[in-house]
Amino acid sequence: MTEATTNRTPTISVRNLRKKFRVSNAAIGGLKTLLLWWKKRSVREFEVLKGLDFDCYPGECVSVIGRNGAGKSTLLAILARVYRQTSGEVKVNGRIAPLLELGAGFHPDLTGMENIIFNGVVLGLSRKQIRERIPQIIEFSELGDSINSPVRSYSSGMLARLGFAVAIHVDADILLVDEVLSVGDYAFEQKCYDRVDRFRKEGGTILMVSHNLQAVERFSDRCVWLKDGQMVMSGLPDEVLAAYLSDQASAQAEETSKPD
Amino acid sequence: MKEELRELWRYRELLFTIVERDLRIRYKNSALGFLWSLIIPIVTTGVLTFVYGYLANNGVSNFSAYVMAAYLPYLFFQQSILDSAQSVLSQVPLIKKIYFPRELLPLGIIIANFIHLLLGWLVFFAFLGFIYIRNPQVNPFQFSTIQLPLLMLISLFLSTGLGLIVSALNTFYEDVKYLTGVAMYLLFFLSPITYTSETVAYSAINQRTNGVLFSLYHLNPIAALSTGYRQALLAPVSITIGNTTHPPIGMKPMYLYIAAAVSVVVLIGGYALFNRMKWRFVERP
Repeated sequence: MTEATTNRTPTISVRNLRKKFRVSNAAIGGLKTLLLWWKKRSVREFEVLKGLDFDCYPGECVSVIGRNGAGKSTLLAILARVYRQTSGEVKVNGRIAPLLELGAGFHPDLTGMENIIFNGVVLGLSRKQIRERIPQIIEFSELGDSINSPVRSYSSGMLARLGFAVAIHVDADILLVDEVLSVGDYAFEQKCYDRVDRFRKEGGTILMVSHNLQAVERFSDRCVWLKDGQMVMSGLPDEVLAAYLSDQASAQAEETSKPD
Repeated sequence: MKEELRELWRYRELLFTIVERDLRIRYKNSALGFLWSLIIPIVTTGVLTFVYGYLANNGVSNFSAYVMAAYLPYLFFQQSILDSAQSVLSQVPLIKKIYFPRELLPLGIIIANFIHLLLGWLVFFAFLGFIYIRNPQVNPFQFSTIQLPLLMLISLFLSTGLGLIVSALNTFYEDVKYLTGVAMYLLFFLSPITYTSETVAYSAINQRTNGVLFSLYHLNPIAALSTGYRQALLAPVSITIGNTTHPPIGMKPMYLYIAAAVSVVVLIGGYALFNRMKWRFVERP
């Protein structure tokens, strides 16, 4: 953490964050489960996050790395208020635009334009504000006249472009990015990264989850390594990445040296 | 609950957008589009007028208006609850990605249906105007029509409360959808929609029980509301059973008060239940 950031109030502040999921062996809801509520079912509980503490500051890009199942996506989902934490404290200062899955909120039967309005309002703009931004969003997404066609006719690249264009234009203070910056072709990807850089310079906070370690190294100011729901290390990207890679390598060596 | 209401208020713009989206999607791929919302009540009125005027004439003139007065609010109630049942479940992929108060999903659907009810009343009053033009001696319009907004408020509360309950439960137990379907179907026959509450009052079984059945019957808020709408909107009718013609009887306002009280309790209870369950929607197994 640099000298400058310590004086500012964090945009995201997480204290002793825990999240437990319960998995029951009963099939997806059914009246049977309801009627037999007193019957003890084997409910398996597992803790995905086991007490996390960290802060993010304005203008900072923090990336979270770790193996599958380490709790990265759960962490982002809790910050996006999709899940509620089991215990612990989450303080968010400012408006969040989650890019958990681009185009997730699009309705296939509505046109791109109608979906922009809907998504913009979901992300916290008023309809008036979103209407003012429509020209910029259309221009950024490079969709042209397709904006008036139903979204079901879009290719996945078009969907991703539209989703990103909306999310970046809602004046959020915090972007939560889950493996989605590699959208569309190379030129568009560069445009996204440029836009994200600008967002950061303007004081926005970015929290991203990625398995693309090159992107992590290139973009983040700080890197947080999660393992089995706990933070192993937090610090400068190259240091954390080096430790992470050597851990991975030794884990792999152990795996291969195991006798069958 | 106070905090949840404040949150709801902050997201009011999204509620309007959800309503708009629902209305748009409904007729998106149809040639006549929004006109369907008017065509359906018009055609229903036409068919009912034919059926009760010629095929099943029970001696009450313009009986189709009496059926419509009770059927339109029933349709709103039924449609709101059946649509609510799927409202959260069908949007689980969306709510797994983004936060907004989950109650907006059923609420948006109920409001969209409420707009359809308003359009239905438009057709209803146009029909009354048509009746008046055909027979200017009798004015079918009643002064008590001013009670209509109050009755609609009770209907709205009841539908919203039940809609919240059904949408929350159906997200985990999909049997709820089928159960409500059956309940709605039976409720239609158990409420005075295609017959009048006078028919119930003068039925042999009610006479034998000294009116207890009539009272019990109207404890059902939908039955009380059906009669309430009819009494507010239309002139009282005498009905004929066998060879005797019975004078109209007014339903005691008490039954409407009971319906109103039940609706408020259902609304508050339903919202509390929804709020207790809403964070688990995304963790649905």
